[in-house]
Amino acid sequence: MRRLMLRMLALALALAVPAGGAWAQEIKLGSLNDLTGPTSDVGKDVALGIREAVQYVNDTGGINGKRLRLYLYDYGYRVPEAITTYKRFRDFDKVVGVLGWGTGDTEALSPTVTKDRIPYLSHSFSAKLTDAKTAPFNFVYGTDYSSNARAAMTAWFDEVWMRDTRFRDARAKGEKPRVVMFYHLAVPYASAPIKALKDHAALLGFEVGPDQNVTLTALDVRSQILAVKEFRPHLVWHGNTTMSVAAAIKDAHALGLGADHIVNNWGYDENLVRLAGLAAEGVMGIAVTAFYGETAPLMDKVVEYAKKVNPGVPQDARMIRTVQAWAQVLMMAEAMRRADKAGKLTGPGLREAFETFRGWTPGLGVPPITLTATDHRTSSVVPIYRIRGGKFERVKNVDLKERWPTQWEREWFGY
Amino acid sequence: MPVFVELVLSGILVGSIYALVALGWTLIYKCSGVLNLAMGELTLVGAYVCLTYYQWGFPFPVALAAMLVTGFVLGLVTERLFLRRMIGEPILAVIMITAGLSFFFRAVVGFVWGTDTVVFDPPVFPREPLSLFGMVFAQVYLWSFVAALVLLAAFAWFFTRSRWGLSMQATADDEMAALSLGVSAKWVYALAWAIAFMAAGVGGTLLGNINGLNISVGYLGLLVLPAVVLGGLNSVPGAIVGGIAIGVLQNLSDVYIGPLTLGGVKEIAPFVFMIAVLLVRPYGLWGWVKIERV
Amino acid sequence: MSYLPSGVYHQTYAASHAWWQSNFVRAKMVLLVVFVATLPLYASLYVVSVANIVLYTMLSALGVQLLTGYCGQITLGHAAFIAVGAYATAMGVLFWGLPYPLAALLGCLLAGLWSVVFGLPSARIKGFYQIMTTMAAQFITVDFIITHYVSRVGDREHYFSLPPGTITLGGWPVDSEIKVYYLSAALTILCFAAVANLLRTKVGRAWIAIRDNDIAAEAMGVNVVAYKLLAFFAAGVLAGVAGAVWIPSLYFVSPEHFQLSWSLWVVGVILIGGVGSLHGVAFGAIFVTVILELLKLAVIPLADFYPALTERFLYVKEGVFGLAIVLFLLYEPRGLAYRWEQLKNYFNLWPFRY
Repeated sequence: MRRLMLRMLALALALAVPAGGAWAQEIKLGSLNDLTGPTSDVGKDVALGIREAVQYVNDTGGINGKRLRLYLYDYGYRVPEAITTYKRFRDFDKVVGVLGWGTGDTEALSPTVTKDRIPYLSHSFSAKLTDAKTAPFNFVYGTDYSSNARAAMTAWFDEVWMRDTRFRDARAKGEKPRVVMFYHLAVPYASAPIKALKDHAALLGFEVGPDQNVTLTALDVRSQILAVKEFRPHLVWHGNTTMSVAAAIKDAHALGLGADHIVNNWGYDENLVRLAGLAAEGVMGIAVTAFYGETAPLMDKVVEYAKKVNPGVPQDARMIRTVQAWAQVLMMAEAMRRADKAGKLTGPGLREAFETFRGWTPGLGVPPITLTATDHRTSSVVPIYRIRGGKFERVKNVDLKERWPTQWEREWFGY
Repeated sequence: MPVFVELVLSGILVGSIYALVALGWTLIYKCSGVLNLAMGELTLVGAYVCLTYYQWGFPFPVALAAMLVTGFVLGLVTERLFLRRMIGEPILAVIMITAGLSFFFRAVVGFVWGTDTVVFDPPVFPREPLSLFGMVFAQVYLWSFVAALVLLAAFAWFFTRSRWGLSMQATADDEMAALSLGVSAKWVYALAWAIAFMAAGVGGTLLGNINGLNISVGYLGLLVLPAVVLGGLNSVPGAIVGGIAIGVLQNLSDVYIGPLTLGGVKEIAPFVFMIAVLLVRPYGLWGWVKIERV
Repeated sequence: MSYLPSGVYHQTYAASHAWWQSNFVRAKMVLLVVFVATLPLYASLYVVSVANIVLYTMLSALGVQLLTGYCGQITLGHAAFIAVGAYATAMGVLFWGLPYPLAALLGCLLAGLWSVVFGLPSARIKGFYQIMTTMAAQFITVDFIITHYVSRVGDREHYFSLPPGTITLGGWPVDSEIKVYYLSAALTILCFAAVANLLRTKVGRAWIAIRDNDIAAEAMGVNVVAYKLLAFFAAGVLAGVAGAVWIPSLYFVSPEHFQLSWSLWVVGVILIGGVGSLHGVAFGAIFVTVILELLKLAVIPLADFYPALTERFLYVKEGVFGLAIVLFLLYEPRGLAYRWEQLKNYFNLWPFRY
């Protein structure tokens, strides 16, 4: 029975895998992605980017000559499927590292990957995953959500509230700026930075209005906007992915809310401009890498491989998410190279390799990454952008560590 | 206070779209006694079909007309293939066939069109908001309301004046008598499904114009059920009133009850309301009262 | 109607009331138990994990079969009660430090009581309206209460993750696929035996009377409301068992797996297997799970030619399931259990035809 199953599986795999790969020297990498679930609007582009980046790694010498073998599965943003897929990575595919996706499942799997000692590099930038004491095998490739949120609020405060003529009278009267948060309360990724954001609002002297629940797939946000209209917010924080953020911004524009918008990094991409149209003008947001096609080291390779590996996908449909996927894969590949050179390409060895990163960057506009054995936060520098004329222009890079060094080291760590 | 009025008004505007879909549901129930759990998916299919026609370059009215024709054909085919044999079967089987169909349609839509939000591009209705009496409305809501009213009037004319409409009413009232008078019950059922597809498709298209379409529009179908329970299962005016009431209820509950809870009121308020109605007056406002006390 | 093979004669009432009435059937049952007990020894871990899913589906569907197939109360909200059981068990283990069996018992009890709460409207309404009420129960319980309130207990951020090794059965930790398999198999067999026995008692007969014609049942003196509520309670307890079994297999619980789609799934399972038959639960669960696993294996080689198949595999899965329900209802409305009975009778009656 078992042999028959194995033979069938082998036959199926043999038919599926193109011939010519070096089967012997292979390093296995697992990847969990959302291609059909509520975050699939950003997830699909990431999956394409991951495949292209792995192809690039293999074309440029692999991991010290060994081929990188990718196992990419869709789990639909459902945590139970994430867990069964992870078990499959661990027991069948026998991967040495995992590229993760959503906050909920990454945080849920964190104790398990710690016990199994398999490094988990996720697209979830939840701050909890950066505390090496509680999550020693979890890594991120960009600045964490809470730091991003703090930086975005700081940038708006400095550049808009303190300088814009719209608010001159308000400032003169000593009014406090007002902010409300629009996010999906029940989704861990969206609610991750809220506490930090509210603390930061208190620090900067904001008045915080009632949180509004906007589901990830929301198409209609009018009642939430009408609910905060009496509060007359100056600023709205958007914690969801692009689809619902676009709906919220369009409805805010249609109902005349008159507030500025700051958007988290997973809601801020080229699709937002396309979906929200004119309403997206002036919206500020966070980007952890450069945008697709922007001038940055290695961006030409990203574009080249996008055209080569996935020619069927039109170039104007590619987004910053592809670049983010490249950043993730390149970081994992670099750690694998270091571990392999040290002769320890195992789970714990890979973790140690990650923790040797000092100011390393894959290019692509990613601020230099430094990881230590206690602190898995990559950097304290967050790039903030603004949409002008349908294009993204950089406002500034906010360095949280420089401005609030003691809080960065101690209080803000891990939440 | 103005917020309250704005909420009620925008609730009525969107509720008219729910009313369209509820109308389709009631039609199927009245004519053939089938409780359709797939209404949301019919909405989805119709909306995506119209969007596809629009993306192929046809002007919007042509795309809408093409969608109506497609919906009509799909309704006839669905009824013929899947529901013809279920006439007379126990209620659970019939409901589960429609539930199975809902899985199937949603899967087809998800497979063919994916899960991303898609918008009608270029926008069909102008984007700038209108200001009326100090309140701001997006133009698309007003146009949807107008379109929904036009369609409701068209349906009303169809049912009271045209031959097929009268046949459908006759079948719904007393099937035996209608059959004995020469009405073809098979065609009436098929027509009921076809009209339901069309009504749901128009509803979905109007919804899609507001903020875009994605697969979550399919959950609209479940919202239709509180609407018809409120109005009475086999009453057409009840369906309309129920749809509008649910639209208003969603808005009001989100703004006034939402802050008291930790979120998520908007989705379940219609269902809580429905349970309350079921306990107090299960037959709804206009439904036929069947007394069965055990 | 099940025929006895020729040569089997009962001489005492006890013998004719027995569960297994001929040596052949007894031998079959022993083989079944041996098969279930030794499966992990020769099957791969993958097969064991599929078996775990089958057992969980069986436990979930058992409560629905009891309510719908034997008592005639249509329910489309069963996943909500499974969720109550799962959450109660998880919270018991995490927050109150209860040993797993005690937490599971607590979960079953709570699920049963919660089920009764939503069964109360059944005293007044039937048919379609009852379907609506149970659907509303599903949304209110999972999408509202659990997602927004219960999930946040202890500042947990919408899911409960149990540290590995916390679930022990008297010192024996349940943390691998095989151990979960044995736990689920034992509980499944226990629950099936319990339900089968229950159906043979006065309670079971009352339920069947209510299903067939509740007005006549009331006229004959069956307290319809009390028995309906008892059916809801029993179904809730069974849902609690399913929830309790879910916890050790994932060490994790979140509202996502208890959505309306799972409720519809288990109703589909009993429809495919056969309403009103315990065999139907088993057949339906096995059929649905195995077909979907085969589908996964079949899609892998095709994915090269049509990559959308793997990307959108979820939709392929749902589409096939929906189509399966529809086709079964159209062409095999009495389900797989009916075919099984036909098959058994064919061999029992051979060479006669009836």
